[in-house]
Amino acid sequence: MIEVEGLTVRFSGVTPIDRMSVTFPGGTCGLIGPNGAGKTTFFNVLSGFVRPAAGSIRAFGEDLLGMADYKRARWGLRRTFQTEQAIEQLSVFDNVAMIYEHSGVKGAGKRAEVQAAIQFVGMETPSAAKVGGLGARERRLVEIARAVVGRPRVVLLDEPAAGLPEEETEHLRRVIQTIHDQFGALVVLVDHDMSLVRACCETTAVLDFGRLIASGPTAEVLLDENVIRAYLGTEDIA
Amino acid sequence: MHSVVGFAVFGVDWEFLKPYIVLGLALGGVYALSGVGIVVLYQATGVLNLAFGAIGACGALIAYWMINHTSWPHWLAYVTCVAFGGVVNLAYGLLFGPAFAARDPLVKMMGTLGLALILLGIMAWRAPVGGAFARFLPLPSSSHTFTLFGAFVNWTQVIALAFALVLTAVTTAFLRYTNLGTAYRAIANDREITATLGVPVRRVEASAWFGSGLVAGAAGLLLPDLITSLDYAALTFLVIAALAAALIGRLQSLWVTFAGGLAVGLAQALFAPYASLARYRSAAPFVLAILALLWLSRHRVVTITRTAR
Amino acid sequence: MAASRTPGQGAAAAARATFSLDRGSIVRGLAIAVFLAIAIFFLPTIGADWTTTFTSVAIYSVITLGLGLLYGRVGLISLGQVALLVIGVWTSTRLSFATDLPFPVLLLVTGAITCGVGVLIGLPAIRLSGLYLALITLMAAGAVNVVLVAINFPNGGGGFTGRTDTPDLSGLKPVARPSIAEGDTAYYRYVVVVAAVMFLVALLHVRGKPGRAWAAIRESEPAALAAGVNIVLYKLWAFALASFMAGVAGCLLAAQVGQPTAQSFQTQDSLTLLATTLIGGIFSLWGAVVAGCFSQLLPFLFQVQWGINPNFVLILFGAGLLQVLLTAPGGLAQQFPKDMANLGRLVWRGVGKVTGGGSGS
Repeated sequence: MIEVEGLTVRFSGVTPIDRMSVTFPGGTCGLIGPNGAGKTTFFNVLSGFVRPAAGSIRAFGEDLLGMADYKRARWGLRRTFQTEQAIEQLSVFDNVAMIYEHSGVKGAGKRAEVQAAIQFVGMETPSAAKVGGLGARERRLVEIARAVVGRPRVVLLDEPAAGLPEEETEHLRRVIQTIHDQFGALVVLVDHDMSLVRACCETTAVLDFGRLIASGPTAEVLLDENVIRAYLGTEDIA
Repeated sequence: MHSVVGFAVFGVDWEFLKPYIVLGLALGGVYALSGVGIVVLYQATGVLNLAFGAIGACGALIAYWMINHTSWPHWLAYVTCVAFGGVVNLAYGLLFGPAFAARDPLVKMMGTLGLALILLGIMAWRAPVGGAFARFLPLPSSSHTFTLFGAFVNWTQVIALAFALVLTAVTTAFLRYTNLGTAYRAIANDREITATLGVPVRRVEASAWFGSGLVAGAAGLLLPDLITSLDYAALTFLVIAALAAALIGRLQSLWVTFAGGLAVGLAQALFAPYASLARYRSAAPFVLAILALLWLSRHRVVTITRTAR
Repeated sequence: MAASRTPGQGAAAAARATFSLDRGSIVRGLAIAVFLAIAIFFLPTIGADWTTTFTSVAIYSVITLGLGLLYGRVGLISLGQVALLVIGVWTSTRLSFATDLPFPVLLLVTGAITCGVGVLIGLPAIRLSGLYLALITLMAAGAVNVVLVAINFPNGGGGFTGRTDTPDLSGLKPVARPSIAEGDTAYYRYVVVVAAVMFLVALLHVRGKPGRAWAAIRESEPAALAAGVNIVLYKLWAFALASFMAGVAGCLLAAQVGQPTAQSFQTQDSLTLLATTLIGGIFSLWGAVVAGCFSQLLPFLFQVQWGINPNFVLILFGAGLLQVLLTAPGGLAQQFPKDMANLGRLVWRGVGKVTGGGSGS
């Protein structure tokens, strides 16, 4: 469970997140909202790239904001980025192995766990291939493999389906649906593809202008008037 | 009378320090105008030109050769020195500027290091330094002196400081009030967008390269007279003091760069009379530059983009 | 999910992961062995001044290795490596006069002290990146240079600086070479072995955990951060490694020269080091060897063998630097094999045409 209380982020005269309070109960949770609603900024706060002006975040009872940024990965925070950040210089194996190495997991099971993560996402290319030579679909899968290796506790997926064609999204849906069962992590999924969100997430929270406007079971939230208005706007006749 | 009063102020012997203050201000003037040249070029092109000193040194050597090995008039040599600076800088900017335009500032700076090496190689090859042989480039203005507040001042020193002052003032006004100046500031902000607005970016950048080069040539002409020695290695490392000034000005503010240049010059000169510190006085520009850099980067920012290569 | 292993099995697995025994690695290993054999057994036989030059090549390849790791693997430029080299020379000279340390210990101690200085400089600078880091290291190098010119090298005197105006020339012992390698040829072989050890250390870093973390930091700091990499630690580690190598190189240089003087180091050495490092190639460890050859062998060839003014080589370096920056970021170590491969393909195709292979024409 992740509890966000009164989170506020301000920079350069903008307030991307404005007194946001929400609870992600567990399992797979969706986080949606129109562009600019503050979703990626929220992820950046969780990752530690952005320091909030106010508010608190408790994940599984621990104060996340009090942890140093690079220590959160050791704690179990994983995330994917909108622009893939896999290291082109390194092979698929090395990319995933690196996360494992810094995750603080002790023991000699590195090779096995890394292979398991790569197999889990269903990659077809050999793990020794350099990421620089892969296509968009494979890179996405590498991102997700990096997000599930090494005892993750919270997995943040930032628009994993963006720009992918139908068939790939199908495969992605199946992968995302299994993450919680397989690894026990709380998954927060941000995406604009509503069918993906509906299929994967039991609960969903909706942001608009940095504030929470709805949260609850996904099916209900997607029918909520306020949510529809946030996306489509109101009919204002001047 | 003056010295009694002087001594009473801060317990410092001003009488003793006066010639060093004069030298410091003059040196500071050269550092300041070099700093301005560097800052304006950086603003317009994103290139921090570390070959600045080498260009001036090359021009000075050419002037030296013209004066001592030809019968051409001296004023031609001086003009050549300054013009050479402009031409070489412009040539580099035209040849390599566009190729480096999309790279990050570090790579652009490294390109100028390549230029500096080439110039150093040419200078070492054609004008080797050896043994007791020393070169000088005296200017006619230094043979005219007058007394100011009890200190001896020569006209080169006055020119150095005055030129720095005028350059800073004129450039500041230029950047703020003329169309070309606005173009400079626009390019500094965002080159791509400025180009789409119809500003002839390449021509504007070329003017910056040329102007900055002229300043390099002028610095190369003035410095040997002020330090009474034409040592191309020392001249090349003039760029460090200029850089210190530019960094103190945050690579942005011309007046603060001017003040920074004066500070560096004074710091360097004022250590000279104190025997124990004198040998370390050349470290003054380096130390000041380091402090300026540390101050400049006190806020750490993590940017979420791929590093441009 | 994770199979239980004994520590031995775990170590073996780790070793296998680092040194995977596929065909490529075996070929590379053989190439290295052949190269070392030629270097140790054949090269010293050419001539005495060649041997001195080759010793310099080996020493400079060590310091280039440090800079190459810093820039090629982590993306940090330090323009102060020559200053660290000088600190290494000074430290080993001072220690040599003050103590009777056996040479290998002197190497390690010099390396450690220089490493400490490098980390001290690196600590405040580590938040900087790119341009500002390069500038601050350039400035620090300049300051060190000024101090060096002021205090000069130790010559047997007492006190911290170890310099006296009245050196006792009778009892003056220059920086002592290792007792097993006092002659020039023997010392050359010793230096090659030390250099090989440094390269091995570099290789272990690059193929292991630090190498992966560095690659992540170089490409995307946010991703590295999100992966749990302690960026400050790994950057400092790279700095420390490069400084250690500079210190070791400095000690080797001191023993080669015997009695170092301030005139041995010119102000443009930082620039030539940067230029040759990039020309040699920062993405491959071989690049450091190429760079050593460029910076030490080429001037020797120009001056002694071909009678060309050695300052001409500076022009070459400057032009080479520009070319590498613009067109061949991997330097010669990357370009040369590619060019050879292209040439090979052209030749192969040419042979194919001449022998009329394939379907009839």
